[in-house]
Amino acid sequence: MPVWAIFKGGIMARTKLSDDRDLTEEQRLFKESLLEWAERNMPLDRVIKMNREGHPYPRELIKGLADLGVIMGTVPEERGGMGLTWKDQALIADIIGYIDPSIATAAGFMAVETGWGFTIDRHANDEIRKKYVQPAIRGDKFIGIATTEPGGGSDVANFKCTGEKDGDEWVLNGEKTFISGVEEAKQIGGGYWVNVRTGEKVPGAAHKNMTAFFVPIDSEGLTPTEPYDDAGRNSISTGGFIMEDVRVPEEYMLGEKDKGFYYTMEGFDNARILIGASAVGVTRRILEEAADYIKEREVFGSPLAKYEGIQFEFVERYTEMEASRLMVNKVADMQDTRYDEEGWAERSGKAKTYSPTEIAKWISMIKYKVPHLAKDTADDAMHWLGAAGYSSEYIFETAWRGVMSYCVGAEGGANIQKIVIGRETLGKDYVPYK
Amino acid sequence: MRFVVCVKQVPDTTEIEVDEETGTIIREGVPSVLNAFDEFALNLAVELKNEVEEDVEIVALSMGPPQAKEALNKCLAIGADRAVLLTDMVFAGADTWATSVTLSRAIKNIGKTDIVFMGQEASDGNTAQVGPEVAAHMGIPQLTFVTEVESVNNSHVVAKKETDEGFVRIKCETPVMIACMPTPGFEPRIPNIREIMKAKKKEYQEWSHEDLGGDPSEYGLDGSESVVIKTYSPPPKGEGIIVDDEPEVAVKKLMDFFEDEGIL
Repeated sequence: MPVWAIFKGGIMARTKLSDDRDLTEEQRLFKESLLEWAERNMPLDRVIKMNREGHPYPRELIKGLADLGVIMGTVPEERGGMGLTWKDQALIADIIGYIDPSIATAAGFMAVETGWGFTIDRHANDEIRKKYVQPAIRGDKFIGIATTEPGGGSDVANFKCTGEKDGDEWVLNGEKTFISGVEEAKQIGGGYWVNVRTGEKVPGAAHKNMTAFFVPIDSEGLTPTEPYDDAGRNSISTGGFIMEDVRVPEEYMLGEKDKGFYYTMEGFDNARILIGASAVGVTRRILEEAADYIKEREVFGSPLAKYEGIQFEFVERYTEMEASRLMVNKVADMQDTRYDEEGWAERSGKAKTYSPTEIAKWISMIKYKVPHLAKDTADDAMHWLGAAGYSSEYIFETAWRGVMSYCVGAEGGANIQKIVIGRETLGKDYVPYK
Repeated sequence: MRFVVCVKQVPDTTEIEVDEETGTIIREGVPSVLNAFDEFALNLAVELKNEVEEDVEIVALSMGPPQAKEALNKCLAIGADRAVLLTDMVFAGADTWATSVTLSRAIKNIGKTDIVFMGQEASDGNTAQVGPEVAAHMGIPQLTFVTEVESVNNSHVVAKKETDEGFVRIKCETPVMIACMPTPGFEPRIPNIREIMKAKKKEYQEWSHEDLGGDPSEYGLDGSESVVIKTYSPPPKGEGIIVDDEPEVAVKKLMDFFEDEGIL
């Protein structure tokens, strides 16, 4: 045995189907560190096992991800983050999707904790930052978003939870459901961004009078409901909670009263970028794993990869994956430009290079397209592998069940994305606000 | 106190191919990595720095083309305080002698150094000559096959060294060159994103032969004492013979084989 063989080796910044030449030196190192960490802590067989065993997400992996610095990297350095760009964070989300194609890790710690956590940090006061955001960055707490209610999720503005002021406090009532990470938050502490109505519903403008609060999971009067038994991404929980006269101090209001809807749209934008990015990573991992199999497996005397029926499908998905990667890069770049040109978040009309609705269109395009690509690629891979692909011996069925979550609704269903894209391309006369 | 850690960027050892016509290693399209022996040496240096009470500066030093900066960036992320890349076309084509001349002059340029850490060898050349040669040029003692550095003070270092018989603990005067040999199962520390971002702000310098002094003919191919005549991949071994029988039959078959081959 050559002496260098004592090293595990094999972890390169470049994986089989990725082109890293457009990455910065730092981004290549991020990638190398994440892949090396994953090889030690989250190899594919563990991902499959975690998915089978279900939530809560292993505590030591939350700490591991936090120690690596992947959670909320875009939060400014002076507030405990790393001041990463959205391009940096999107690359991290891509690798997280590659490492865990079940998307549980991406859903819990990219879309929710990073996309929404970053937005919480922007609108929270220092007390919430110190007590919840910064510990979540360190992996000691879980923070997330609770928008969906039993009456609906896609129709964000049509919510029923209420908030009434009582002295220096607000009293919150109502129910939130289909929330990621409730069991994890129960286990390690944390809390949620919760939207409530703080004024009369305005006819024709249901989004008005929405106010956002940060609500600790252990608040008196807050009762978590039973977690759902989801089809996939099972290592992170999906649950809900009922609020009965939950009291939160005035300081726990996020941003200004009645502006919650706008902050929520900002949070969706941030989460959706990271979803698109992680779905690129999921797709690349599926293609790499499938490529290994179809090059080896012989049928009627030839490897599967020599049959054009499979070869061409593989190439089509690979091409779509690279096109998606470029789209995600563009969108992340737009978001960096947007945050550089302050003023947009307040909808002040001062956005310069891109308008908020233009960025939202691009974000919706990747949120709609890339998870579907990942799901369809997993579907193809299962067909290429046959019975083996359908079994949990390989990652494909785990990935297929996981990414379906992003197709059907998590962080906005496919048809909602199409409405946003349609309005920006065809115009409001054809796709009006409802 | 100062530690200098010499590192090399090498092709991924799992993917090396040799151009049969030119006899040189094909580097195009092959990912480069930090030599794993050097990474171990750097890990030892960082651990030692964290253990000693005195202030320690760790300088990562490499010789190579401009892209070797990537390996030094990783060193800065892992814990080096600053980095120096010796990069100059004059240095190209250096054998181990010319490399060690260049490195030892660079270490002199860096200033008073207590320990020169090196990997036992590089995974592309596997000569294990550069470390001892650097020690010879600098006129300092050398410890090779070191698996652990237990302590260091202003005058001595105590290290554990692997031998054919086992391990020995050695107390040695500083300055010293320590060539490090990773132990099986060694897992290098993984720099996190915060450390990678912090590394961007650390001092990084590039030096040419003019910064080191001396005549250009003392460096690179001109300064080399050896000539590589040919590099080639060894021919693949033929298929082996597997004897899979009951012990009595298997032993007889083996004995027959040895006799037929004239081994016995």
